[in-house]
Amino acid sequence: MIEVCDLHKRHGNFDVLRGVNLTVKRGEVAAIIGPSGSGKSTFLRCLNGLESFHQGQVSIQELTFGAETPLPIRARILRQVCQRVGMVFQSFNLFPHRSVLQNVTEGPIFVLGLARDLAEERARKLLDQVGLADKIHAMPRQLSGGQQQRVAIARALAMQPAAMLFDEPTSALDPRMTGEVLAVMTDLARNGLTMIVVTHAMRFARQASQTIHVFGEGRIIESGTPEQIFEAPRLEATRLLLNEAQAA
Amino acid sequence: MEEDADPSDFSAKSRAQSSAPIPSALHPTRRLLVRLGFWGLLAGLVFGSVSCGRSDKDTLAQIKQRGVVRYGSDKEGGGPYAFPDPDAPRNVTGFEVELMRELGRDLGAKPEFSQGQWDRLLQELSADQVDLVINGYEWTESRARDYLATRPYYVFQLQLLSRRDGPIHSWEDLKHPNPAGRPWTVGILVSSAADTFATEQGGSSLQVVHFDGATDAMTAVKNGQCDATLQDLPAALFYKDRYPALEFAGKPVGHGYYVIFTRRGDGPLRDALDRGINRLIESGSLRRLYERYGIWTDAQNELTDWTGAAFALKGQSGPTGLALLWRYRTSLFDAARVTVILSVVSMPLAMLIGLLIALGRLYGPRPVQRVLATYVELLRGTPLMLQLYVLFYLLRLPPWVAGIGGLAINYSAYEAEIYRAGLQAIPSGQMEAALALGMSRWLALRRVIVPQAVRIVIPPVTNDFIALFKDTSICSVITLVELTKQYSILANSTGGVLEFAVATAVLYMAMSLPLSWFSRWSERRFEAMGSKGVLA
Ligand SMILES: Nc1ncnc2c1ncn2[C@@H]1O[C@H](COP(=O)(O)OP(=O)(O)OP(=O)(O)O)[C@@H](O)[C@H]1O
Ligand SMILES: [Mg+2]
Repeated sequence: MIEVCDLHKRHGNFDVLRGVNLTVKRGEVAAIIGPSGSGKSTFLRCLNGLESFHQGQVSIQELTFGAETPLPIRARILRQVCQRVGMVFQSFNLFPHRSVLQNVTEGPIFVLGLARDLAEERARKLLDQVGLADKIHAMPRQLSGGQQQRVAIARALAMQPAAMLFDEPTSALDPRMTGEVLAVMTDLARNGLTMIVVTHAMRFARQASQTIHVFGEGRIIESGTPEQIFEAPRLEATRLLLNEAQAA
Repeated sequence: MEEDADPSDFSAKSRAQSSAPIPSALHPTRRLLVRLGFWGLLAGLVFGSVSCGRSDKDTLAQIKQRGVVRYGSDKEGGGPYAFPDPDAPRNVTGFEVELMRELGRDLGAKPEFSQGQWDRLLQELSADQVDLVINGYEWTESRARDYLATRPYYVFQLQLLSRRDGPIHSWEDLKHPNPAGRPWTVGILVSSAADTFATEQGGSSLQVVHFDGATDAMTAVKNGQCDATLQDLPAALFYKDRYPALEFAGKPVGHGYYVIFTRRGDGPLRDALDRGINRLIESGSLRRLYERYGIWTDAQNELTDWTGAAFALKGQSGPTGLALLWRYRTSLFDAARVTVILSVVSMPLAMLIGLLIALGRLYGPRPVQRVLATYVELLRGTPLMLQLYVLFYLLRLPPWVAGIGGLAINYSAYEAEIYRAGLQAIPSGQMEAALALGMSRWLALRRVIVPQAVRIVIPPVTNDFIALFKDTSICSVITLVELTKQYSILANSTGGVLEFAVATAVLYMAMSLPLSWFSRWSERRFEAMGSKGVLA
């Protein structure tokens, strides 16, 4: 359902992405791991248009856009992509001037045009699902990091996306809060949501994902099932990466 | 460079704002401070003005000791009285300058020119800034009550000037109704003898338009913004060659005396000046001086057999205190209304234009960004007064259009920078999160970015509103009589400096305090919204 073909991206004369190919099937959870600066975030942001790219093509369901797609057309396609693909950021990015409930209803009401009461009903259900039923009227700044990230997940889910992108959703959290966020994500994975998760949380990658892609210097250098990657990594680089993660 | 400097400047301000959420317990103290400041201001005005027109010290002795006599005058459009010397523009020359050079000998002191705005010169005298005022000041009863006048050194008349191709060719023409159905407009130097004359003798078919300088009024007639101008004859004679489009309309009218004013307690100084003027009249050097400037007229013969009878204080002194204010209340309120209209119309315009500029600079295409940046720099880099001059004298816009437009355009540059900084202060993650939800850029601005920016910019924008409110006084240079100008006119014509100063201050406070309250209220409201989440 997500297919990326030969993605290239430059910043100045630094090649951030140097030909990334990736396929994610419906209901598949793909984990992306890799050293810092290898282009994981950039790759993810290319998928929903937060970054542009110089070469290559992306297909998400029947929506296809490439580096050559003219700007106005690409903008229209990307709006549709964003409506169908949710994104969760490392730094949550909740809207600080709106309550928890409003954060979750904002998209359905103003992008999908859903009636307010329907949107609120949906939001309550989702907030209950991520364990925040009692925080509905709180402001984001009154929540802990883990709670904020769960609201951010609910906000993305409220659009009823076909797929979700996670960019290191737990990197800004301490271990206890990491657990509560990963639990929510594991839940989603079990329910068959298509997900691409950039993460350093190796245990989650191993237990919740079907495929792991290892990034290195702007390319996917190794892909495989969790067993293959963790038990018998093909590359020395991957072994080093896993060791580092274990030590940390 | 500008782009880097500004947001940081702004963030310092906004930090100060946000780090000081005002606990309500502090409010009584704050209010007290405001009150103290207000009464302190009043007290300052009262004590400042009690000494008005009086002097404890012997100024003549001081002058002799210093060896310098400082005289107040205005060289702007000041020919032939006092004006920049065409051969050496840093020096000032003119018949009064030369007269002072002569009188300096009688005082045993070197004359020193002190530049001031013409209609404020007597206030500078009261405030001890100068020793005397000599600048085509007419003897009037109300001035004679507050200051000491010398014997006259010139007998002036008034000359009407109009466009050669215009309908006005004499003072009498102004008494017939204007076929256009509106009154004739006559440009006049504010608070001058012509002002009194035109107001008293003009009748209903004539409307006085006030200018700060004699030449400004002539320019306005040349431009067709006024039908005619009534000028002191010496000024008319001096400048007529520079305005070939204008003609002397009819014979001179009116009649009055230029005198030198000193403070009330300075009898010795006044007497010394009188002796000097006497000497110059008797020796004939005064006549020679005036002939050199082409301003000698037969009327000057009156100087030779001067008895002083013309300067008797006839009527009783006019009302003072509250009675004075009561008599002129409508003038004050009219002027206050002008101030309010200027500010409440121009500020929303400035905010709207500013917002468009800010959005254009942040999200517009490159060339647009560059044009707008230039616009902002141009407007911030030049004084408002200059911009008003351009709109009024060069583009010849009507005064209200020039005033409101000038204020709006000038302030739009400042508002644009405030908004730009406010918008930039919102972390980029906010826009990304909004776009990732499928919002368009415009919707993201409207729902996510602008509402967050608003609460940052409200305090500085309110601040600018108060500043603009006070800057409306600059509109007096384009003939709009707002509060400050009206104060100056009334204080000059009635001598009620103290009364009108207090009344004007009270009116300004009464108008600007609600703005400050609004600012604090909105700050608190947004603070509350932040925690309760009731922002729509
Ligand atoms: N705007 C930019 N200008 C220049 N270089 C950039 C820019 N954005 C990213 N880069 C570079 O691109 C490379 C990839 O960045 P990216 O954030 O995608 O890495 P990452 O794999 O997500 O790293 P991390 O694990 O630290 O998040 C980095 O070397 C970064 O310095
Ligand atoms: Mg990253």
